[in-house]
Amino acid sequence: MAIFILRRVLYMIPTLIVISFLSFVIIQAPPGDFLTSYAAQLRAQGDEVDEARLEALRVRYGLGEPFYKQYWKWISGILLRNDWGQSMEWQKPVKDLIWERLALTAALSLSSLFVSWFIAIPIGVYSATHQYSWLDYLMTFFSFVGLGTPGFLLALIIMYLAQSQLGMNVGGLFSNEYMLAPWSLAKFVDMLKHIWIPMVILAFGSTAGNIRITRANLLDELNKPYVETARAKGLRENRLIWKYPVRVALNPFFSTVGWSLASLISGTTLVALVLSLQTTGPMLLRALTSQDMYLAGSFILLLSTLTVVGTLISDIALAIADPRIRVN
Amino acid sequence: MKKIVKRGQVSRREFMRLSALAGAGAFVAACGGAGPAAPAEEAPAAAAPAEAPAADAPAAAPSTYNEAPMLADLVSAGSLPPVDERLPSTPMVMPVAEMTGSYGGTFRRGFKGVSDRWGPTKMQDRGMAWYDQDLNMQPRIAESWEINEDASSWTFHMREGMKWSDGTPFTTESIQWWYDNELKNETLTPAPSSSWTTGADATLMELEVADDYTFTLKFSDPNPLFIYKVGRLTNALYEPGHYMAQFHMDLTDDQAALEAASKEAGFESWDQYYTDRNNWYLNPEKPSVGPWLAKNELSNELFLMERNPYFFAVDADGNQLPYVDNVEHRLFETPDVFNLWIINGEIDFQNRHVGLDSFTLFKENEEQGDYQVMIGSSAGHVAIQMNLTTKNEPLREFFNNRDVRVALSLAVDREAMNELIYDGLLTPRQYSPLSKSPQFYEKLSNAYIEYDVDQANSLLDGAGYERGADGIRVFPGTSDPVSFVIEGTDQPGTQGEQAVLQVIKYYEDVGVKASYKGFERSLYEEHWGANEIEAAWWGGDRTVLPIVAPWIFLGTMIDRPWADAWGKWRNSGDSDPNAEEPPADHWIRDIWAVWDQIEVEPDSDKRNELFTQILDIWAEELPMVGYLGESPALIIVKNGVHNYLPGFPIDDTTGDEHLLNTETYFWESA
Repeated sequence: MAIFILRRVLYMIPTLIVISFLSFVIIQAPPGDFLTSYAAQLRAQGDEVDEARLEALRVRYGLGEPFYKQYWKWISGILLRNDWGQSMEWQKPVKDLIWERLALTAALSLSSLFVSWFIAIPIGVYSATHQYSWLDYLMTFFSFVGLGTPGFLLALIIMYLAQSQLGMNVGGLFSNEYMLAPWSLAKFVDMLKHIWIPMVILAFGSTAGNIRITRANLLDELNKPYVETARAKGLRENRLIWKYPVRVALNPFFSTVGWSLASLISGTTLVALVLSLQTTGPMLLRALTSQDMYLAGSFILLLSTLTVVGTLISDIALAIADPRIRVN
Repeated sequence: MKKIVKRGQVSRREFMRLSALAGAGAFVAACGGAGPAAPAEEAPAAAAPAEAPAADAPAAAPSTYNEAPMLADLVSAGSLPPVDERLPSTPMVMPVAEMTGSYGGTFRRGFKGVSDRWGPTKMQDRGMAWYDQDLNMQPRIAESWEINEDASSWTFHMREGMKWSDGTPFTTESIQWWYDNELKNETLTPAPSSSWTTGADATLMELEVADDYTFTLKFSDPNPLFIYKVGRLTNALYEPGHYMAQFHMDLTDDQAALEAASKEAGFESWDQYYTDRNNWYLNPEKPSVGPWLAKNELSNELFLMERNPYFFAVDADGNQLPYVDNVEHRLFETPDVFNLWIINGEIDFQNRHVGLDSFTLFKENEEQGDYQVMIGSSAGHVAIQMNLTTKNEPLREFFNNRDVRVALSLAVDREAMNELIYDGLLTPRQYSPLSKSPQFYEKLSNAYIEYDVDQANSLLDGAGYERGADGIRVFPGTSDPVSFVIEGTDQPGTQGEQAVLQVIKYYEDVGVKASYKGFERSLYEEHWGANEIEAAWWGGDRTVLPIVAPWIFLGTMIDRPWADAWGKWRNSGDSDPNAEEPPADHWIRDIWAVWDQIEVEPDSDKRNELFTQILDIWAEELPMVGYLGESPALIIVKNGVHNYLPGFPIDDTTGDEHLLNTETYFWESA
């Protein structure tokens, strides 16, 4: 097992190097650079844009330098000095910006992930074991509705209802008075008042999907001979279902944990945008559109690292959960 | 030296007389006498400002000026000097649009992040002068100014006793410091902004300081429009040197410490750190002269501003401004949340980001949200730019034919388009100065705006573009259909996109084929940058005071590419590979020749007269075809907020909804 993990970690290094290089290429691919989009923004605002001034700024940010130099400057900063560069748009160090928002994002994504599986697994198991019962039909109906409703639309509807029916202050995770306050019990309670909207929305869509996955996988397993055998040997039905087929049916849960790590950052983007949540998704999107390359590049690098690490974790978890999987 | 008495100075004097505070005229005051607002017993204080009177005068002495309760508390607690000492001896008397206000309260507004700083900065960045309701420039930080015969030398008189927000005197030293250490420092200013240079070789202005309150800016060429460039100042012309010196490598006491501090903050060199510390909205510690002070950084979810106790202006009754204690800007990502805030009554006063396409939504909820939707006039126009210098030769010939442009103006039913897409809220007109503008010119606004398909067809027939078999016109001598691509950034579903599709339908009725391509902005920029645009759908603004921002009329604002390559030639000569010299006898040269005269004409009436000549050429040639304009701009005003009036232009040049001095807007106390 240890050798397996070590080998996988070693594989990760070239993968990450290639990814970091590719992501830098992609960020540079659209025409222009941060300053062209900055200049366009200034023009739209009515400011006069001096070409000479832009040129000077370009030199200051090192935007005119050849590609490999810019890449080296960026990647060596990260590796050697833990310096992720400066966000041109926010005029703040990238690492401060990212970490500031990461905790909130992770809390939101993780909680909705667990809520979603917590609801999905029992329902999925019930649906599979009681296939074609009226409750199964009802659950199936709801999961299809859930799958078919885009999260942002749901966000808009819930936000409107919360505002017009409950008179809530919507958008963001805090009320104005707590937004800048240090953490306290009152602030936490205030957050709970707001966080249920994104949690419900995020959990709604994924719960629906997870119910379908659990149900389908379990149905596959239920007809297998080992289930018959166990039943013939007189194992109690409840114990039988939960101990053997459900465990196998949960493989997708483990194999997607890896992806969930990356979606901690980017998965909630659309909903976060609509709800004006100060999570990492909207920031990543904006960094990409304004070609704020160090911020965008660092995000993409972080996302890829999390995906690669996540895949490893998935594999390990899977190997532990499913004894049939051989390390070799 | 010729003294030019501004129209507004007369009205200001009159204003002061009416408010029973009057004494000597404004010019006498400027020369350093007792301020007109200072009564006799206070005269010594005015003559010798600074701290001396504070020690002598007993606390009970009645003060000349009034202040906000929150400041009065600080004064009685001893942590702030009395209001009379905080104000200059001749404070600016700011006109109020409706009535004298009362103190207190908060304005809640929305913003979209650090890159959207203009909401806060437009209410904060104060310059030498500002517009009155007739859009003439009146003294603001400056008490008065004079110019010489050819307007190449500008002398400003500052307000004696005016102070930075930390109580340090605001004198010509602040100007000198900026000039010496920022403008002339090549690390900080590699290329000075065109505001501070004149002439073809961009000669930098010279600064001459006469005394603590008088300075002169000398330009190598006449610069009569200079005052408009110092209306709203961000980190320019004046700087708190006593504070900023610590971030300046040449002036700091400890260079190593500064080096370390900028590294610590994540910057590669001290000038980046300096630039960062120099922004009041990123560095709340930097002293300011604006009406409010930042309490935290703009990169927060909630940006807070609180009143500046040293703000230099009062109302006619001697109440120190601003009226409102606090301003809050709350971050949002998409308009949906912002619109919900509005209809829920959580936005107190704002035009920025209030979209016209949600007009009905806002109106429906006026009562529930306890606000009012005020309507101002936006500078924007619905217009098409046909690139007269497109690389597609036959198309270039087509666009350059005046009859073609007139025909494409006549071919569109502006009334119907207005009703269909804009609920009839706009006005059919060409791209031209707004009716509220001093440069308004009806001849251009109404040139060829009637709907006349027959006339359009006969013009196109006469120009030699006959209809082919399928009804689409062909280029003369060929069977190639006349067809072109209109590029823009309006995305599907927006009013802008609906409008261009409608225009394309009208074109088709007269046998001209066009199609619309919506691009991501950076690609659009790339296209006009390389003169690869056939036609653009980018509208046109800057119509409130085009004499201050004339670039669209001159064709030199190339993102409105009606003469892409020619504009580039005018801007940067042959150094731009895509630049092209216009033909020798072309009318665009006449436009530029007139503008060259305007730029050095000290007399404003003559300037307007000359500008009319440019508008005459426009009315004749229609360089870019406008369809609709005078678009309403929406301002959300909570019930109980006063001193802003509907009907004023909303344009960047005039500070959007802050034109009437946000310092004077107030909450009616309950």
